[in-house]
Amino acid sequence: MVASLEVLRFLKTDPVRRARPGRTPHGVIHRQGSSRLLYFPSPEPRHTPLFVSMPLINTWSIFDLLPGRSVIEALTQAGVPVYVLDWGRPGPHDRYTTLADLVDTRLGRALDRTRRHAGRLPDALGYCVGGTFLAMHLARHPGCVGRLALLCAPIDFHASGRLARWATPESFPVDAAIDGFGNYPADIIRGAFAWLRPMGQWSKWATLAERIDDPDFRALWAHLERWSDDPVDFPGEAYRAYVKGCYFDNALISGGWQLAGRPVDLGAGRVPAHVLSAERDHICEPPAAEALAGVWGAPVTTERLPGGHVGVCVGARLPAALLRWLGA
Amino acid sequence: MTGKTVDFSDMAQAFQQQWETALSGWWDQVLESPAFLDAMGQGLETGARARQQYERAVDDSLSAMHLPTRADLTRVARIASLLEDRLLKVEDLLLELRDDLTARLSQAEEEAVKARIEAAETRLELRERLGALEARLAEQG
Repeated sequence: MVASLEVLRFLKTDPVRRARPGRTPHGVIHRQGSSRLLYFPSPEPRHTPLFVSMPLINTWSIFDLLPGRSVIEALTQAGVPVYVLDWGRPGPHDRYTTLADLVDTRLGRALDRTRRHAGRLPDALGYCVGGTFLAMHLARHPGCVGRLALLCAPIDFHASGRLARWATPESFPVDAAIDGFGNYPADIIRGAFAWLRPMGQWSKWATLAERIDDPDFRALWAHLERWSDDPVDFPGEAYRAYVKGCYFDNALISGGWQLAGRPVDLGAGRVPAHVLSAERDHICEPPAAEALAGVWGAPVTTERLPGGHVGVCVGARLPAALLRWLGA
Repeated sequence: MTGKTVDFSDMAQAFQQQWETALSGWWDQVLESPAFLDAMGQGLETGARARQQYERAVDDSLSAMHLPTRADLTRVARIASLLEDRLLKVEDLLLELRDDLTARLSQAEEEAVKARIEAAETRLELRERLGALEARLAEQG
């Protein structure tokens, strides 16, 4: 009862609206449409720069949630300059943007501008669907990064749990949805993710009540709420092709997928890859991510981290794992 | 009576855990049932159709008032986006051209430096030979 009153008192201060994720200093070095390439300089650059492809359906700030719990801050402090591809918020006209536009052109150009700005070949990290796109890009255009790491990035979509069982041609009318909505609405994606684990909403409030006396936890909770309250639409035509290719046909595993007249064959990947998955990930279960090892054309190592799909980004273990992988 | 005190906080925690487990199991059954999946798909389709019809109705009204519609604005934004894409392709070409020129320039510079080194070495050889000749002349003279 006392905890509930404390929670109400906390919520009355409007902590979510006041939360300010994404505070590590950065600049914009390239723009295309709504997407931007962000550059986070390191105070003492000592290591190969890291290019990060974020998911399209949320903002990039989950990697820079708040000081002390920021992947980007930890990497730059350790001497790794970071480049982040923020896909931006698509406008109504972006409904015509194709998957090939995103995977080949936009991602390719961002990698090219990163290499030019850094003056050397970067390593690359892809998170969630940003990682899936990065793997597809590197299989189609090898040689633009030194090494690849994928974080909670689905490859075997049929192994990704409940989401895969929902996203079937029988239960998911993707054609009707894109024809009607244009871009696939962020609120529907967010709702679907929440319904994947309905008790997650209860746990969120129960944990807040349990730890309401911890100011660090309160700040983390508010920043996470702010981030998850700010989802992003998925460009329509790209989403149609993504759902059909990845969820309906599981084509990254079964093969035979053509994108803009060229095959998507992960066996053509030529850079060593490191797969990071989260033990309690309900959006991309570890086997869905680790399946890269069976199809990628170069050596693949795997590592499981504690936490869920989002929680993995806000602990200290992810930066430590990345720094180990980078040899920093 | 055992004389032991009852820990209500432990009991509440155990009750909460049991409640969570039971509810999770129930949700799992519901969320994977064909009835739920059908309803979800139909709901999405209905929502999408409604949105399409609403937008068409708004566009028709705006057209009737000779005002630009959402579709018109989307078309203009699309044209701007395609133009931007063409500009970025030109930028890509210019950057590649610059790379090519830089490579050629550095190759030309390298060749020029090599030629200068060779010329300097030739001059040094000539100077040495001249010095040897002068020494021989001095010996004979």
